[in-house]
Amino acid sequence: MFANFSSIALTILGALTWGLLLGGISRSVTARIHGRMGPRVTQNFIDLWKLFRKTSSIHHGGMFWMAPMFRITGAICVLIMVPLVVGQNITYNMSFAGDVFLLIYIMFFGCLGMALGAGNSGHPYAVIAVSRGLAQMSSYELSFSIAVVAIAVGLHTFKIEGIVAAQQAGITSWNIFRFPFASAGALLAFLPMQMAYPFGIVLAPQEIPIGPPTEYSSRMLSFMFSGRALFGVAKLILFVSLLFGGASSWLGLFVKTFLLYMYPVVVSSVFPRFRTEQSIRFLWFIPTTLALVDLVRVML
Amino acid sequence: MYCNQPPEKPGNKKELLEKITNMARANSLWVTAYGTGCGSIELRPLGTSRFDMERFGIAMRPTPRQADVLIISGYLATKTLKRVIRVYEQIQDPKYIIALGSCTINGGMYFDSYNTLNVLDKYLPVDVYVMGCMPRPEAIIDGFSLLMQKIKDGRAHGWKHYKENLDYYRENQKKIITDWDLPDYNW
Amino acid sequence: MIDKVKNGFEIRFPLYKLVREQHNYLHVKVDMVSAMDAIVMAKTSLGHNVLQLISTVDRIEDGVFQITWILENYGACTVLLISADFPRENCLVPSLSQIWPAASAFEREIFEMYGISFPGNPREGEDFLLESWKDTPPMRRDFETEEYAMRVFGERQPREHIDPRQYVGDIVGEWNTPMGRKRKEEK
Repeated sequence: MFANFSSIALTILGALTWGLLLGGISRSVTARIHGRMGPRVTQNFIDLWKLFRKTSSIHHGGMFWMAPMFRITGAICVLIMVPLVVGQNITYNMSFAGDVFLLIYIMFFGCLGMALGAGNSGHPYAVIAVSRGLAQMSSYELSFSIAVVAIAVGLHTFKIEGIVAAQQAGITSWNIFRFPFASAGALLAFLPMQMAYPFGIVLAPQEIPIGPPTEYSSRMLSFMFSGRALFGVAKLILFVSLLFGGASSWLGLFVKTFLLYMYPVVVSSVFPRFRTEQSIRFLWFIPTTLALVDLVRVML
Repeated sequence: MYCNQPPEKPGNKKELLEKITNMARANSLWVTAYGTGCGSIELRPLGTSRFDMERFGIAMRPTPRQADVLIISGYLATKTLKRVIRVYEQIQDPKYIIALGSCTINGGMYFDSYNTLNVLDKYLPVDVYVMGCMPRPEAIIDGFSLLMQKIKDGRAHGWKHYKENLDYYRENQKKIITDWDLPDYNW
Repeated sequence: MIDKVKNGFEIRFPLYKLVREQHNYLHVKVDMVSAMDAIVMAKTSLGHNVLQLISTVDRIEDGVFQITWILENYGACTVLLISADFPRENCLVPSLSQIWPAASAFEREIFEMYGISFPGNPREGEDFLLESWKDTPPMRRDFETEEYAMRVFGERQPREHIDPRQYVGDIVGEWNTPMGRKRKEEK
């Protein structure tokens, strides 16, 4: 029991550190692509600590305070329900507890809490961003869910443990090779999940300056940042488990999540931005069709 | 919700924590994207690859809720001062002000204007003045590094001074803003 | 093109004064009673249907405000300036806001800056640039700007004037003479 608890705590701490570090690396990479020096790799830790120590005197009602907690809760639930390293039972945390559909629901739940909190803040920009974000979420959830269903039906299991275990017979047994179309759909849906361009309409820094967290300040903002970092890592680990055969060692885990994280960073630094209806049209047609192709193939 | 008393001074136990926090504050200055005068045109190049303020951890934030630094960029009209006070008081503590250009120091070339205030220090607590008309981005970066040094040494107390001497500042502000309609406490 | 406009003025307003004329530019001066008629004629029959600007000059020596309406004809690329003098005391100028709604903004600005009233402007007296101004309108020439700035924004050290000749001598004058050039080469 104690081992289980400490493993969960360590997982959360490690995921937070890794997520913040990845964020710093991504800022640096983006800066280099722009031809700038860019901030330190540790900049996100500094920002987080500074925000945590600032005073806070802004109040917008109960849901406003709950929203970052919703997000962090959702991220932690996803994090502890996915096995980290295959074969090391201690890192399986709570992965016996649910299946992939629960994970998708919890991911949606975190974003929904965030949307409610931002809506409660009453700032018009936050509300616009939330409406755009929910519209976009409803479109990428579709292709992602169909891709997950295709994989689950193909492997005859909805348990995330089972999906990981089915991919342990060498690289060719990874789902990205066994279900190439579904994987392509899921990877295209990964871009809007990470709010990467061309699907960055939610945070749109040009018109609705930073979107949902407009009214959040100091300590609440630091919670929101750590929630985003945790959620990012949780999504990375979920994707590695679903498509890239899980991780057979700690090194493999870090390498795989790092490479997967760099994919939206590199894509987003060279693309302009879709409008909401363009991004919805794209996500409903191309990734959904790709995922459906594999679903039909598996069903037949 | 309102802060009715001056902030407490950090005791000896908090000294080390405060020092670490000051290091973090100095290396992560977020600027309110609010331009008051001609100088805000000199702030834009700071974000470009030539000057690149992000390497010092300086970033632009679109809302005063999340910012640390308010830059008064150039001449300040009485009408703008009203908005600036509102923005400044909505920034969460600790907060700093950098004032650019000779207009904020003594009025500069608008010293006899009917609408431009002369000495900014009477109305808001300025931490760092950057002189010039207008200062180039290099000079602004120099001002930022000065502010960073001040924060690291724990000498950037403009916001505390503002709270302790609120009556003085309010009196001066109300002298030139004749239709005062702000609340007496904005934070 | 401008001849047609000029002919129109000669027929309808024989007493007009020609200020300046170019191939696509005409500046005429009419008396204050016929200013409105001249503008309406320029709009309806001469094709100058765009109001670009209303400008005001405070000619305190003659005791008048000279108001100039700048009208443009985009089709023919001609500009027509119609000026009229209005007495300075209790100055009343007919409003154009019924003809061009955009004139309302110009008239509000002139009301704030010069205190000239435009009867017929529905939004006259609303705040435009100055908020709650209580002194003499600042653009009138009997408004003492420097005295006002000293009174409201406080004392400011006057700028020290240094004559460069006192320190460096008449360098430019010297260098331009053959003697000066020779002396420079010797150095």
